[in-house]
Amino acid sequence: MEEIVFGSNIMQLLIALILVSTFMILGSTRLYSCVRAFGIQSFLLACVAGIVAFSTGKIDIYIVAFLTLAIKAALIPYIFIYIIREIKVKREIDLYVNISPSLIIGGILVVISYYLIRSINLITELSSFALSASMSLVSIGLFIMISRKKAIMQMLGILIMENGLFLGAISLTYGMPLLVELGIFFDVLIGVLIMGILIFRINKTFETIDTDMLKTLIG
Amino acid sequence: MFTLSSLGIVIFQVIIIVALAPLLSGMIKKIKAFFQIRKGPSIFQPYYDIAKLMRKDSVVSENVSWIFHAAPLISFAAILTAGLLIPIYISDMPLGFAGDLIAVVYLLALARFFTALASLDAGSSFGGMGGSREMFVASMVEPALMLSIFAIALNVGSTNLSFISQAVSSMGLAAVSPYHILAFVALFIIAIAETGRIPVDNPATHLELTMIHEAMILEYSGKQLAIVELTAMMKQLLVFSLLANIFFPWGIASEINAAGIALALVVFIIKIVILGAGMALVETSTAKWRLFRLPDLLSVSLMLSFLAIVSFIIVRGV
Repeated sequence: MEEIVFGSNIMQLLIALILVSTFMILGSTRLYSCVRAFGIQSFLLACVAGIVAFSTGKIDIYIVAFLTLAIKAALIPYIFIYIIREIKVKREIDLYVNISPSLIIGGILVVISYYLIRSINLITELSSFALSASMSLVSIGLFIMISRKKAIMQMLGILIMENGLFLGAISLTYGMPLLVELGIFFDVLIGVLIMGILIFRINKTFETIDTDMLKTLIG
Repeated sequence: MFTLSSLGIVIFQVIIIVALAPLLSGMIKKIKAFFQIRKGPSIFQPYYDIAKLMRKDSVVSENVSWIFHAAPLISFAAILTAGLLIPIYISDMPLGFAGDLIAVVYLLALARFFTALASLDAGSSFGGMGGSREMFVASMVEPALMLSIFAIALNVGSTNLSFISQAVSSMGLAAVSPYHILAFVALFIIAIAETGRIPVDNPATHLELTMIHEAMILEYSGKQLAIVELTAMMKQLLVFSLLANIFFPWGIASEINAAGIALALVVFIIKIVILGAGMALVETSTAKWRLFRLPDLLSVSLMLSFLAIVSFIIVRGV
């Protein structure tokens, strides 16, 4: 069964597209297109969960797939767009590391994650692809958090890391217990809301959401 | 061995490349006009343009050397030679032994090199600007072009384009894999840059701040201009047929018979028109990018083809 799920062509394709969507986030300079790429990534993740659910036939995973679709692919991007619109932020993201070097670093991170994953040798061909993709998502998410100046992009980075963990979990365990998954979804949603409020506060206090400015002391 | 029928195939391929290239150009213009709700020129307009230019005399600057006169012919020959190595309607190219995809990439580079040289030759400031921009873009296009086709070459185990085309076509739908798609998208971005389309270059204007290809050929007129224009269109057709017949070669004829070849030609034209429509859509929906943002676009393509190779290695566990 496991061989069928993760050896299938369509699964490989989805995972590769998830990687591409991550690179879309790395490669774009507009907030809206970053959010859109994140939505696409979550949608693809929901498809992965859907296929796992279909081939294992567990109702739990169907629920997880649906929740991924509803929360990560629809609600969270909506919250992002709401925030961007409300605080009237400049739509270009500011970077510490420029686009082309970011892309190259992203590529290097993918290779590093592959080599890290390869040293674990308990897994089949495709779950190793899924795992190294999940590992690269986590590391690229972290890289986005440290290389982008806007608070919104740091929020997005942590969500990409979360997506990577989700992909890793589903490819290793074929779905964690529903209770755990529900907890995680709740966590993510609340996390996004709290971060959203925090961004509003940062914006109100400093009149910018550039985290660079947080370093300046104000008396 | 080189028989009469393979000579026939070669000659037919030359005729097809030269005859279809302006039609493709015209069709892209028409589709683009459709997206922009304009009527647009007839799809045969490029033929009329070339026919008209052929009847005109050239006006040539006094200061140019022989390079200026030789460059259009060298480029034309280089592109046509590349065309003989790329499968168009039959996968088993008789001249396939003469060179593989590396030869194709360098033939394209040779044509570009001479066009750039000629642009410098007349000593006009626009020409030099166009030449330097073209080489700037080319320095990023070439590695990505190589890498993206290498991803497919790794998959089938050969760099010979005829062999790649045959192998992918015999694999059928099983050939669609992550690296296939990634490399296709990468090569599509390269095709935009190679054919000088909108995020990279604008083929429709002579606006001095933005033009790349148009700036290089500014000094040409008359018959020479006709050859230069035809060469650009042929290059576009070849890049498209690389996209079509390396990644989606289904329907291509594998042996010589009239019905197979006729079918292959129809399928080829359909694939080319679909690609052209995609290109027109990209051109309509994006704006011309600033020159110094181009490395971003091209490094996306480079990264995609890199990812294609990495995912090939991961999936195959080499």
